[in-house]
Amino acid sequence: MIDPYEVLGVRKGTSKEDIKKAYREQAKKYHPDQYGDNPLKDLAEEKMQELNEAYDYLMKNSSSSSSSSSSSSYGSSTDYNSSNNYGSSSNSDYTNKDIYQSIRMDLNSGNLASAEQKLGSMNTKTAEWNYLMGMVHLKKSWHDSAYNFISKACSLEPTNIEYRRSFNELSTRNTNYRDNYYGRRNRDSDMGNMCLNLWCADSICECLGGDLISCC
Amino acid sequence: MFGYVTPCKMELKIKDYEKFKAYYCGLCRSIKSSYGQLPRLTLNYDMTFLAILLDSLSEDKYNFTKFSCAVHPLKKRLMIHNNMALDYAAFCNTTLAYYKLMDDVYDNKTMKSKVFSLFLKNYLSKSKIEYTEVINYTKEKLSLLSTLEATPVNLSIDELSHVFADLTGFIVSFYYKDAPFKENLYWLGYNLGKWIYIIDAYDDLEKDIKSDSFNAINSLFNLEKLDFKSFSKIIKPRINYILTTCAEQCLKNLNSLPLIKNEDILYNILELGLMEKMNRVFNESDNIDNLKGVEYKDDRSI
Repeated sequence: MIDPYEVLGVRKGTSKEDIKKAYREQAKKYHPDQYGDNPLKDLAEEKMQELNEAYDYLMKNSSSSSSSSSSSSYGSSTDYNSSNNYGSSSNSDYTNKDIYQSIRMDLNSGNLASAEQKLGSMNTKTAEWNYLMGMVHLKKSWHDSAYNFISKACSLEPTNIEYRRSFNELSTRNTNYRDNYYGRRNRDSDMGNMCLNLWCADSICECLGGDLISCC
Repeated sequence: MFGYVTPCKMELKIKDYEKFKAYYCGLCRSIKSSYGQLPRLTLNYDMTFLAILLDSLSEDKYNFTKFSCAVHPLKKRLMIHNNMALDYAAFCNTTLAYYKLMDDVYDNKTMKSKVFSLFLKNYLSKSKIEYTEVINYTKEKLSLLSTLEATPVNLSIDELSHVFADLTGFIVSFYYKDAPFKENLYWLGYNLGKWIYIIDAYDDLEKDIKSDSFNAINSLFNLEKLDFKSFSKIIKPRINYILTTCAEQCLKNLNSLPLIKNEDILYNILELGLMEKMNRVFNESDNIDNLKGVEYKDDRSI
């Protein structure tokens, strides 16, 4: 079990304000978005998740008791995990849930105007709000703002798989499209490549006692 | 603003290359026969793409004729004629050119554009009655665009480019306004229009910063008034993202169209041609590319 105080790098009994500050600093350091395709990204994502869990836990419990880490088993608390899938688990979220649901329905049926109008009338801009707004703009082909909204949603709630998947999809589409063009460029060397591959295969076969191409 | 939508010549089959040229010549001829000599000067590749795209959805047979061109008198060339899609593209070419010129008349008040636009106005009155809606729409949207461009405060690039994108979508889908695939045509046009608007702005960025004239990208993003070199370094990935997404969406919509002919040319243009243009615009300085780079030397792909 990891000590949430240790994760955030603060001492036990630190005030909420300081915890928030520490969280922000750490989150900036480890936010996966800045790593691009770097292999460190996975590590950062893991670390980010730890940070979020620790932060949520401390925010909930630091006021009730200062020695919480010794008794309760944080990390295995399942109720925490389940609530995290939906919004930031604040009260306003429950009242907004219905609206979000109807916006999702609008999006599915293609009623963009209604979805956009509902989103526009809301005051609290949670991660889900940003995500849905991003989806609306995506359908409108407003690619720049769609990207901004979805990445905002991801940074507000880095653990949400739905947001992250949509965000990744944005760049995968482009990579696939670019590959059409760049892939063709290397095709000229294909014949040479094939010979080389055959030769390699033959050598390996011979090493193992067999023979793929008998004449050499 | 025009001339970015061209095939990637190196990957085109000879027959498709000839076909593309035949459409191009056909468009030129169609402009001449319905509007006159002068509007021919406004001929551009984007409208050739429009003709090819719209014609690919109709079952008409190709109508090739041999002719000799006044600009290149020695060689006999092929062209396509008596084609509805070509006539529509010729009409759009003239309309867009006219209103674009009107814009320039307000913008820099040069004598040249004034005189030219006066002539074009005459020609435009010859267009068919069923296309009047397009003329009105173009007029309305382009004037809206120039008001937005005059005071681009608190606008996002999506809001600004929406006007031209929407106009392009309208023009592309108007020809098949009752067909079931109208939506796909609209979104193809929408994304292509946005792509044209933004790549044009980026292409002119250096020149516009130097001469201090309006540039969409510069006035929306360059709030600190950086010089071209440092600004383009910052903005390049973002513009690249937007352009690639637009192009990708064009291709996606093309996939859902019931194409009857011209498939190879259209895929070549939207899959490779657009990428090639982006490559050229983004890597202006270092474009010694094997094979694909050959044609950049004279800055024209065909």
